Parts: sequence; C-alpha cells; structure tokens
Amino acid sequence: MAGVGAGPLRAMWQQALLLLALCTAGSRGLYFHIGETEKRCFIEEIPDETMVIGNYRTQMWDKQKEVFLPSTPGLGMHVEVKDPDGKVVLSRQYGSEGRFTFTSHTPGDHQICLHSNSTRMALFAGGKLRVHLGIQVGEHTNNYPEIAAKDKLTELQLRARQLLDQVEQIQKEQDYQRYREERFRLTSESTNQRVLWWSIAQTVILILTGIWQMRHLKSFFEAKKLV
Amino acid sequence: MPIGVGGSHGNPRPSGGEAGGTHAWLEGAETKEVAEQDCRPPHPKSLPFGGLRFFFGRSVRRSRRHLEFLQTPGFPVNHEESKEETRSGDNSTPRLFEPEIATAGMGDRIWLSFPVLLLAALPPELLPGAAGFTPSLDSDFTFTLPAGQKECFYQPMPLKASLEIEYQVLDGAGLDVDFHLASPEGKTLVFEQRKSDGVHTVETEVGDYMFCFDNTFSTISEKVIFFELILDNMGEQAQEQEDWKKYITGTDMLDMKLEDILESINSIKSRLSKSGHIQTLLRAFEARDRNIQESNFDRVNFWSMVNLVVMVVVSAIQVYMLKGLFEDKRKSRT
Repeated sequence: MAGVGAGPLRAMWQQALLLLALCTAGSRGLYFHIGETEKRCFIEEIPDETMVIGNYRTQMWDKQKEVFLPSTPGLGMHVEVKDPDGKVVLSRQYGSEGRFTFTSHTPGDHQICLHSNSTRMALFAGGKLRVHLGIQVGEHTNNYPEIAAKDKLTELQLRARQLLDQVEQIQKEQDYQRYREERFRLTSESTNQRVLWWSIAQTVILILTGIWQMRHLKSFFEAKKLV
Repeated sequence: MPIGVGGSHGNPRPSGGEAGGTHAWLEGAETKEVAEQDCRPPHPKSLPFGGLRFFFGRSVRRSRRHLEFLQTPGFPVNHEESKEETRSGDNSTPRLFEPEIATAGMGDRIWLSFPVLLLAALPPELLPGAAGFTPSLDSDFTFTLPAGQKECFYQPMPLKASLEIEYQVLDGAGLDVDFHLASPEGKTLVFEQRKSDGVHTVETEVGDYMFCFDNTFSTISEKVIFFELILDNMGEQAQEQEDWKKYITGTDMLDMKLEDILESINSIKSRLSKSGHIQTLLRAFEARDRNIQESNFDRVNFWSMVNLVVMVVVSAIQVYMLKGLFEDKRKSRT
C-alpha cells in the first residue's frame, strides 16, 4: 500500500500521513472530557501478579479560540489506584502528560481514578479538559523492541516470545476464572439452601399458627359458655 | 460465545494424562510451569436436587483480545489437537513437521523456509512486510456510571478503518443503559434505549466518533458498564511492524535454532490445548451454576404457591369451623 517509486502517489501518501498526524496529534487513542473537580474512575478486573501501565495526555480547552490547545504544561492529574480490598496501591500526582504503572498482588477489581487538581482551569479553560487515555494490561505491557535488544533476539524468537507471554497471561486469567467460579458456586448453593429452608419453615409456622388459633378460639368460646 | 479452539468438544477429559504427556515434552523448554499446577480443578460437589436446563441466559463476554490470536486461521491448533490425544507421550518431533524433514535432502535451506511457510499460512492482512502477528488496536474499559448522568467517549479514526464497539452492563438495578453513537459530523449512527448489551460495527470516515452511555432515566441506581473498542485497518500499523526490524539482532540461524523454535512451538501448542480443556470445563461449570439458579427460581415459585394455597386453605378452614361452632349452639338450643 505504501507508494513505492511513483512520485505523485508518494506525495499524496505523505500528505495523508501529515493530515493524520495533525488530526490525531500523536495519539490515536480514546479520549473523554472531564470537568474541573470531576473524578473519572475505571475498573480493571485482573488476576494477581499482573502489570498494568496507563498512559494519559491532557489538553486544555481554550475559550477564546474554541479549540483544544495541543498541550499545556502546568496541568496536573492525580492518579489513584485502589486494590480489590480498598487499599490504595498508587496515589500520585503527575504532569499534564503521564504514565503510571502498578502490579496487582491480589486478583480482583482494581479501581483507577483520575482527577484534575488544578483550580486555574475554571479561569482559563472554561472548565473543560480533554484526557486521552490508554491502559495496557498483562503481556501488552511488555516492550518487545526493548526485550529484543536486551536478549538479542531474532525476529522469529521475538514472535515466539510474544506468543508465550500471551499464553501465560491467558493461563493466569483462567486460574482467576476458576477461583471466581468457585466462589460463585458457593454463594449460589448457600442462597439455594436458604431459600428452601425458609420456605419450608414458613409453611410449617403457618400451619401451626392455624391449629393453635382454632384451639384457642374453641377453648375461649367454651370458657365463655357460648358453645 | 464460541471461541476458535473448538476441537475439544468430543474429547474425553484426560486432564491428568494430558498433563503427564505434556510435561515430558517440556523438559528442555525454557519458561515456566505448565503442568505443575493441578490440571484438574476441584470436582464440584453434587447437589441434593437436580437442575433443569437453562435455555436462555446472559453470556458475559470479556477480554476478547487475549483470545484473538486463537481465532487466527492457519495457526495449527485445531487440527493438531486430535493428533495430540493419540500420541501418548511420544517425545519425538510432532507429526506436523515430519513430512518436511523426510523430504529435506538438501540440508538447511528447506528447514529455514519451513517456519516462514508456517507463518505465511496466516492470512495476508496479518503479514505486511515479512512475517508476524499484527496487534489489532483495541481497548476496553469498565467504569461506573452514576445515576442520572451521561458520559461520552471519543475515538479518532482514519478513513476506511473499521470500528467495532461492544458494551455490556455488568451491574446495577435493571442492567440497562441508553447507548448513542455519533459520526464526526454529528449524525446519529446508533441509538439504543435501555439495552443491556450491544455490538456495533461501522466503517469509518476521518474524524472523531463519539459514543455515549446515558443513565438519566434512573434516579437511584448506578450502573457498571464495560465497553470494548476493536479497531482494524488503521493503516499506521504497517509502520510498527517495520520498527521492530531496527531492534532485532542477527538473522535467523539454521540447524540448532530450528529445534529451539520447534520446542517453543510445541510448548505453545500444549499450553493452548490445556487452555482449551480448561475452558471446556469452565463452560460446564458455568452451565451447571446457571442450572442451579434455574432450579432455585423454580423452587421459589413452587414453594410460594404452596404457601399461598396453604394460607388460603387454613383461613377457609378457620372460618368454617367458627361458623360450625355457632351453628351447633343454635341447634342445641332450639
């Protein structure tokens, strides 16, 4: 698809690339808008001993020009990560562009929260901030060019290594799945039993109450000499 | 959701034996534990009551990206599986490679070309340049949408790429949310109300696509929403493949290295079939748990009906007996 040799085709290709670069400004990732004191949280359900890397980039909204400025130094984002038990794993302030990493030690739902800490946004930015975010989990965190350089791997070896990492991650996820399934099964079985025993108990109580009522009423009437 | 590793449907469950055979192969292989974990998950206790078939249900599809490469045609997993079962601990080179070696009279050149051929069996879209797996760009996020709020996300796209978005409501009251997808010009492409999951694919133009999740119809319950974006044909990937060339060292050497490759591939193959087996098992467990819930539901219904009937009967008897008491009294007097 790359234009090889043909002049005008090559120029068009370069133009397209340039346009693309301008449009996306180096990041083709997902983005969202966040208010001044707003906090956005994302949940990552991961097995244990898994590394997670998050990248973000912020852009400030320029009220006069009505566009988002390409990049604004001085804007900070506070990143907080909580593990499934609620304990804070990571709580740090980063600049307007940042990268945070953490490794999970317990399997479960980890919560990654981002909020802006700068108050001058309201003055200059019209209270809106654009945040580009990308989160990589598990074997996606590996930097393969770096591994290739460090271990001096050929391309085939690198590919095989990537495959092995991927499979290892799948295995971890499956172990986690097994653990979750067992807990779910225990919960289901206990719910099941409780429903059953409660219903039986309720029926028995009802019948006994009915019998007692009849007996009581009969003796009451007999006592009052009505019957 | 059916996953590519479909070969194990009819197989008996030889998890213990399989692990034993696998372990023998992997003695020389680098990396870690395949068989040291208990291959056989704890066998579930049988229930006191039987379960009914659950003929409809919600399937939770999550983290598809890990399983994508299993679906790649040409990857020798599906048809290799049945061969594996019958091999019973044979340590020699797997049958897939044998014919090639048998005809290799010329020495190293053929052995080199074979792994390349193997990788060339992959569909051409995955092979820009030389050989390799294209990592498809996708991202998934799970977030909490508070009651009465709407949250939007944007994804910049180039021309003629494909954007697939899949979302599911994981938690929260009725498990439903409004979904809205708009093109860069603002035209509404998809608008769904109060659905609990959905999948949409669009062929894109240049610009930022916006999609929103709307929980304004609910005043008290917050929803946990999972969504996944799968992007294809993004165009810039070709450059990434070329970049790797700068970092690798040396060329692919022959003779000894081929055996290393074979060993690695064997290790991958055995792990994948183990994955397949465990997945089948988990599927069965999940189905069984669904059945538990189904029987639970039926039992609640049944005993509630019994409850109601007993209550009505008991009160009828009471009224009857009371009336009877008074009737007798009047008869005896007159």
